[in-house]
Amino acid sequence: MTDTLKPENADQLFDALQWAAAEGQSFDVRGHGSKLDFGRPMQAALGLDLSGLNAITAYEPSELYMTALAATPIADIKAALRQNNQQMAFEPPDMGMLYGGEQGGGSIGGAIACNLAGPRRVQVGAARDHFLGFHAVSGRGEVFKSGGTVVKNVTGFDLSKLLAGSFGTLAVMSHVTFKVMPAAEKTRTVLVPGLSDDQAMNAMAAAMGSSNDVSGAAHLPASAAARSGVSYVSGAGVAVTALRVEGPGPSVEHRCRALTALLNEFGEIEELHSKNSADLWQEIGDAGVFMEGDAAAGDSGTDQIWRLSVPPMDGAGVVERILGETGAETGGRVFYDWGGGLVWLGLKASPDASHEVVRGAVKPTGGLATLIRADAGVRRRVPVFEPQPGALGDLAKRVKGGFDPNGVLNPGRMVEGV
Amino acid sequence: MTKIKRINDDLIGALRGLLGDRVSASEAVREQHGHDESYHEGHAPDLVVFPETAEEVSEVVKLCAARDVPVIPFGTGTALEGGVAALHGGVCIDLMRMNEIVRVNTEDMDVTVQPGVTRKQLNQHLRDTGLFFPIDPGADASLGGMTATRASGTNAVRYGTMRENVLSLSVVLADGRIIRTSRRARKSAAGYDLTRLFVGSEGTLGVITEITLRLQGIPEAVTTAVCTFEGVEPAIDTVIATIQSGIPVARVEFLDAVQMQALADYSDLDYPIGPTLIFEFHGTENGIAEQVEMVKAIAGDFGAPEFHWVDKPEERSHLWQARHDSYYACLALRPGAKGQATDVCVPISRLAECIQETRKDIDESGILAPIVGHVGDGNFHVVLLIDMDDKDEIARCKAFNERLVMRALAMEGTCTGEHGVGYGKIDFLTAEHGEAVSVMRALKMALDPKNIMNPGKIIRV
Repeated sequence: MTDTLKPENADQLFDALQWAAAEGQSFDVRGHGSKLDFGRPMQAALGLDLSGLNAITAYEPSELYMTALAATPIADIKAALRQNNQQMAFEPPDMGMLYGGEQGGGSIGGAIACNLAGPRRVQVGAARDHFLGFHAVSGRGEVFKSGGTVVKNVTGFDLSKLLAGSFGTLAVMSHVTFKVMPAAEKTRTVLVPGLSDDQAMNAMAAAMGSSNDVSGAAHLPASAAARSGVSYVSGAGVAVTALRVEGPGPSVEHRCRALTALLNEFGEIEELHSKNSADLWQEIGDAGVFMEGDAAAGDSGTDQIWRLSVPPMDGAGVVERILGETGAETGGRVFYDWGGGLVWLGLKASPDASHEVVRGAVKPTGGLATLIRADAGVRRRVPVFEPQPGALGDLAKRVKGGFDPNGVLNPGRMVEGV
Repeated sequence: MTKIKRINDDLIGALRGLLGDRVSASEAVREQHGHDESYHEGHAPDLVVFPETAEEVSEVVKLCAARDVPVIPFGTGTALEGGVAALHGGVCIDLMRMNEIVRVNTEDMDVTVQPGVTRKQLNQHLRDTGLFFPIDPGADASLGGMTATRASGTNAVRYGTMRENVLSLSVVLADGRIIRTSRRARKSAAGYDLTRLFVGSEGTLGVITEITLRLQGIPEAVTTAVCTFEGVEPAIDTVIATIQSGIPVARVEFLDAVQMQALADYSDLDYPIGPTLIFEFHGTENGIAEQVEMVKAIAGDFGAPEFHWVDKPEERSHLWQARHDSYYACLALRPGAKGQATDVCVPISRLAECIQETRKDIDESGILAPIVGHVGDGNFHVVLLIDMDDKDEIARCKAFNERLVMRALAMEGTCTGEHGVGYGKIDFLTAEHGEAVSVMRALKMALDPKNIMNPGKIIRV
């Protein structure tokens, strides 16, 4: 067990990083530790626990942004927003179930640092697109802030975008400012049952390409659908393709009708209303329910989980190729979000997580593969993130060097030795 | 300014060997490539080259890097903060011959272009696909330049800016190596977001040689409305309430009475002269009808009279062309004057206050300056029309601009929402960002250790 420092405010965070930079120390940085197993195992001397940085520091609903200390629980933020009928449009997922921790455990800083976004990404973009500004301390021990509270600015390099998805390897954020939006008055989900994976890609493309402002497009093959907690989905007995529509009441009804007419050729259409819709899209964003085994059936679950990012029309073909080559019995642990552009794939544990097969299938599509879950030994041997060749990898190293030349922050979390 | 003078016959010979007659040292060509459309003083480069491939750009950069000669990328020269001025001399790379649309993927709704393709050329090409590219700065700018300056326009409320719409880039780095920042899949989790590091870097980190852009489906229905108000305040309050209600308007533009007069004169626009909002709604017929009702109700609460509907496509394109030409219309208000377009952006809840204080400040400063803005984002422009021979007026405009920026910063806004820093706003960057400037400098030094990529822009090294 490594020793851990626990700053209680931004000044103490600054002191800790100044000290580490001067003394040649290194930290693994955590908020509540809900995503510590996302990325490579780190080789840090000490832990840096940010859970003391916990408060919403600026929130006026009419201003459409919020500033919070980095380790403020997402659950607290959601509760504050709900009181004002607002939401984080990027739907940060809850990774608790995937990593075997408690549900509802993540922090806002963690969600942004890992650039995590839910099903609405197809409409409103990733976490980084909602991330307006921050205060942080770099690996050099410099305090700096970037961005602000406005939705547009072009003042120099876009440091916010660089920190989103940097997994704490460039700087430690103390405050984050992000957009908040009015919550939709009404949500409905159009369900198309019984489609093959290929048919589903076409149906989702047709829906996404229409003027109906679809804010979620996912496909659950039959065995995934059966795991849903929403009885309309699990009871279908076949694959379910789901399309979400949100907005003012009459507009949602109109768009549901238009989608039904558009998708009629694909089969009998059903609709989910608000509560069931919310539950289903939460499950899809969090992914855990579709990836875990069923203990009651004597199924120990899936050990290794890949998240594949591919051009939307290529998702089904990639999965077919991987399953064909690994010959793996997946237990049906595959489903598609983002209109087919995001594939969650669970494979039975193997020493190399079948990474050559997986990346070999993804690469020709111009996509990339991330090993979301595997035991530490595997994540040490197998690149968790898509390897960056030649000049691109060098460029990433130089960026790291610009912020954290001595490797103080999360050493090795993204790339071995960086 | 000190000039780094390493342009010699050896470099010229090497460039001619590479590009033949696509190397120019003529004074007219150099002068034309040293300035943009703003009042900022131009600085001509020593040479202008016209490469046709990324490999040629790479070779040019390698030749310059070996001699520590600055490299300045150039597109249409329509920027506003002096970004193309060759402050330290060097070689200007004019990218307008790289103007091919490389690939349109209609199913995945993206397109890959070379940097010299202009936004209008792209939309012309997309006409039959049912798709369009929504980012529309006033000028018919090149997509390479728009990427480098993180450009924006009237559609940002609904579709975002270049930041949200660039999916991937090919870039020639300071050492001449060519990289592709990410692959075609939209979600990039391979490492740092290098794509967005280059979007808005104004040529200071590399030369953009290919761009993959997100496209949008042409909406089933489009409705445009022009609404004239009694005063500035009710117009802006209408915008604020619309945005806070989450109504997905596609465009909402504010033009003050002076600007409306300028458009009436320059573009034959026939609307009442007064503080005006132009709304545009995109979506399904039914969805739009509902949005329109909600906005009309809000505007009614703020005492707005009639909405004038612009239904005919030709009337609509005339209106938007007039809006896009507003900078030129302003210049025509005072022939011979130079224009300086300010660009502050404030949180939407502070917008009414900021515009009103600014209007008062303009009147008290005795300057001719229309206000126009993408108010849905909290961004507006004051176009200062300056007699460059009148030193007192120049000083008053400079002082006004500084007060405006400080006013916006005090409201937690920014000095530039879409025009960029160039060398015109370099000093405001420290006021706005403080220590972050030194972080940016460290990043610049890490990526361009010889400081040859468009030196003197964004940050001083």
